[in-house]
Amino acid sequence: MPNTAGNIIKQISPLLAPKVRFIVENLPNELLVKTEEIRLRHSRPLIIIWSGGESYLGPKGPVVAPRDAYMVSDEDLVKTLELISSYSLYAYEEELKQGYLTIPGGHRVGLAGRAVVEGGRIKVLRDISSFNFRVARQVKGAGEKVLAFIFDRRSGRILHSLVISPPQGGKTTLLRDLARLISEGAGILGQAGKKVGIVDERSEIAGCYQGVPQLDVGFRTDVLDACPKAEGIMLMLRSLSPQVIITDEIGRGDDVKAIEEAIHAGVSVIASAHGSSLEEICQRPIMGGLLQKNYFERLIFLSNRRGPGTLEMIIEGEKGLPLYSLRHGGE
Amino acid sequence: MYFKLLGASLIVFAAYTYGYNISSMYQKRVLQLKELLLALEMLLAEVNYGLTPLPRAFINVGKKLKKPVGTVFSEAATLMLKSKGLSAQECWKKALERNCDALQLSRNGMELVDRLGLVWGQCDKSGQLKQIALIQELLRQALEEAENEYHKNDKIWKYLGLLGGLTMVIFLL
Repeated sequence: MPNTAGNIIKQISPLLAPKVRFIVENLPNELLVKTEEIRLRHSRPLIIIWSGGESYLGPKGPVVAPRDAYMVSDEDLVKTLELISSYSLYAYEEELKQGYLTIPGGHRVGLAGRAVVEGGRIKVLRDISSFNFRVARQVKGAGEKVLAFIFDRRSGRILHSLVISPPQGGKTTLLRDLARLISEGAGILGQAGKKVGIVDERSEIAGCYQGVPQLDVGFRTDVLDACPKAEGIMLMLRSLSPQVIITDEIGRGDDVKAIEEAIHAGVSVIASAHGSSLEEICQRPIMGGLLQKNYFERLIFLSNRRGPGTLEMIIEGEKGLPLYSLRHGGE
Repeated sequence: MYFKLLGASLIVFAAYTYGYNISSMYQKRVLQLKELLLALEMLLAEVNYGLTPLPRAFINVGKKLKKPVGTVFSEAATLMLKSKGLSAQECWKKALERNCDALQLSRNGMELVDRLGLVWGQCDKSGQLKQIALIQELLRQALEEAENEYHKNDKIWKYLGLLGGLTMVIFLL
């Protein structure tokens, strides 16, 4: 990812407190290029996480021992919160409740602190003590292999598909690239692209900042940002006439109902769910019920065995026939 | 004789202008406090209905207000958008410092405006609204005082300037 270092310098570091910013901006390029997360925790070492490892950061660059690292201060955290919220905590209350903010460039900042609870629900997060800056990476081409399996050439239809993987397995990256490929209609589709609707409850797929997608999701794509999935899917069906609906991390009863509605309305659905195997997913009451109805024509399993986004297996939904398996060397 | 008359009228004019300037300072103070109250009213709407992020809200407010109050908001917004790692309070303070000569506020008024810097961006919506409302209340009191002072001092300073000038002329002649 040649752009990662530039993105961190241009988009993420201006939002860090000055002392932390100075440290991050002076990191060697080869480290910035592979950086996945920058972690700030109150009175604890500043850490960056990169593919396959992590580094403690001292005032003059990476250090070996945690005690030599720069300890993140209260002031750093307060300032960082001000900067990522553009001095407007009031404008990001909903995001703060969810525990994350999206910043320009589509990067996400995860937050932890003290939750103020009212009526059993989180009212707001206060006294923020941890920040996790997750660098958004767009892997263009990540969905090409999968697209060949979920596109029905005869009918020209995208098949209903469910992407399953453990966290950090590359689900969102795959969904994003599928949205882009289907929307633009290049390559495998051999025809004009399709209208794609993304219901992006956690602003992860399109990485919207103030409603505008920061990542490339194709030019025939409409994004409903930060919208609850069930409501968003219904809204899409009513007013945006999508041919394909893409959504992330389904699992609630409402989501399932809305997905059924979309499928019966003749719209292709591509969704994702946490899990590492079919058995595991089937044990979850809501997901198990959905899978038993055989709505999904393709089940796509990812893992991070050979790096994030390793395509493990693709199963034909109804009969459970494997169409692709990494262990057996491909198709 | 003509020179004397010319000199005398210059003295009277200068003394009157001095008195007029002091009285217009009281007038400007009132107008600027009114502008500030208007700004806070607009910000309340931006926060409450638009959930507009602060730099954007400051730009909107700055455009609609007269100088120098509008300039303070615009400059604070510019500093925020420059991403130099400054806090909202620091941006506000710098914008105030740059315009403090043009602001004709009393010490109490300046303190209030300075305190506004602490209000920005630290709270959730209801907290932000309450803090703006509190400063509004304090500014209203300051406005009342400033208006009283203006009514009290306006004519005094104008007459004092004129009469002072005339007295000086009489003594000199």
